[in-house]
Amino acid sequence: MGSSIRWKTTLPLAILCACLLLFPKLVGSYFLHMAVSAILAMILASSWDILARTGQVSVGQAGLFGIGAYSSALLYQKYALPPVLGMLASALIATVVSIFLGYLTLRLRGIYFSITTIAFAEALTVIWLMTPDVTGGAMGVSTPPLFGGDREKAYYLILAILAAVVAVVRLIEQSRLNFAFTAIRENEDVANVLGINPTKYKVLAFMISAFFTGFAGGFYSHYNTYIIPYEVFNLGISIACLVMPIFGGLYTIAGPIIGTVLIKAIEEYLRVTFSYGHQIAYGLILVLVVLFMPEGLLGLWRGKILPLLRSRPGR
Amino acid sequence: MSGSPQGKDASAKMTLLQVDRLTKHFGGLAAVQDVSFHVDTREIVSLIGPNGAGKTTIFNLISGVYRPNSGDIRFGGESIAGLRPFGICRKGVGRTFQIMQPFPKMTVLENVVTSALFGRVPKISMKEAADEAADLCRMVGLGDKLGESPKNLTIPDQKRIEIARALAVHPKLLLLDEVMSGLTPTETGEAIKLVLKLREFGTTILLIEHVMKVVMGISDRVIVLHHGEKISEGPPSRVVDDPKVIEAYLGKQADGEGDTTC
Repeated sequence: MGSSIRWKTTLPLAILCACLLLFPKLVGSYFLHMAVSAILAMILASSWDILARTGQVSVGQAGLFGIGAYSSALLYQKYALPPVLGMLASALIATVVSIFLGYLTLRLRGIYFSITTIAFAEALTVIWLMTPDVTGGAMGVSTPPLFGGDREKAYYLILAILAAVVAVVRLIEQSRLNFAFTAIRENEDVANVLGINPTKYKVLAFMISAFFTGFAGGFYSHYNTYIIPYEVFNLGISIACLVMPIFGGLYTIAGPIIGTVLIKAIEEYLRVTFSYGHQIAYGLILVLVVLFMPEGLLGLWRGKILPLLRSRPGR
Repeated sequence: MSGSPQGKDASAKMTLLQVDRLTKHFGGLAAVQDVSFHVDTREIVSLIGPNGAGKTTIFNLISGVYRPNSGDIRFGGESIAGLRPFGICRKGVGRTFQIMQPFPKMTVLENVVTSALFGRVPKISMKEAADEAADLCRMVGLGDKLGESPKNLTIPDQKRIEIARALAVHPKLLLLDEVMSGLTPTETGEAIKLVLKLREFGTTILLIEHVMKVVMGISDRVIVLHHGEKISEGPPSRVVDDPKVIEAYLGKQADGEGDTTC
């Protein structure tokens, strides 16, 4: 019984991995680019979900993303740091920022923390515009194309980062951290009385989240070759980070990923058909999901569709 | 201060919890006013008093949920006033909540595992925590409900989760906040047995209780609070005869003389 269940999950996973690895050989440049940007978004969505597991809704992921993007772009420009090392530096710098920000803000709860994170990302835009000598200001920073413009290599790099995020989330789920995160999310005061230091675990979750968000930022700047403050610190990025997991299903591994695939598809379709349509779609999806399927697509699948499928062959 | 119990073996007793002139205001309201008492190791002490007397506030002060405005709380000789709740928990204070607050998305077992994982010093492994939590669940009578969601449980069963969760931190001092109100007589009997068993294992117990049968039956000492102040303390039999206590619960007898207490 145990082995058959294991087969049921490992076989599709193996097929999925093979497809992902072979993907660049099968499609053209346009779809490869789509895949890279979708995987980038998946990393952002999954990272956001790690912090969300402690009950904290960050609306400032763009701040960490932008810090990551600028870190590696500026390090390349000033010290010619190789891009992949630059991305690692981005991840570490974003993590350090998250520690300071976390200790300052994660004692706040719910909406207050969310508002602070919005302010954080918006403040960074202003700081960047005011210090053009260091940051390039409104003119932005440009870097040469990543891997000399080889999209296939870029694809494998970002896929590897996604794999790392998934692995980390899986580790969290199997460790004592999962108990701490869930307990804090469900009732912070009770968790505290039971011996859990809420601030410590919230900051830890924020650090993990920031590490991958910063890495994604670093990747973005090299892949895109050009960044400006208005773009990388944009509230739109922060919103995207939370819409995708909410749509797919919170506090799961697959939820943020599935949510991203669908939203990216809708976004790409609407981008062609009518401009700014994807922003309307974000709003609509957020409202509909929160009202009618609070557990997202995965919740819908587990709660409604799976029981239907199961009941049919049996009796 | 108020008569310390001078039993034969008083010298063998050690003070585990010492509360000194504790005061807590909420705005202009003094919820706890200048309250002092102590609890000895392996003692069972009940905290009683009418609604709003400040009993749960005292629990919240001891467990660190609130910070006292003044006064000190010493646990095992060490001041714990002002520590945060998780720190106090790890020093060996376990508590239950009057209004049951299980983690709703976790199973019964996971609820107890959580406190076994984080409330213990030194830390124990996931496996040990799971085994221990399962044992505790069986001990409080939840053995057949490990995988259930707390939402589907009855009130007494939710209280059992509270107790198991508090015990999972291996408390030296256990604070029980009205765990027996709302139980049937049989269940109350079981709960009393459990409390006495815990004392045998070496746990000290401070409980808030309204069920007089329980208070009279198991307490070594009773502390009576009224309007945030301690009005009486002593063995249960003596406390119930204390005119101040009777007055607090029933009001003063109207005896002519313009005394208009109702």
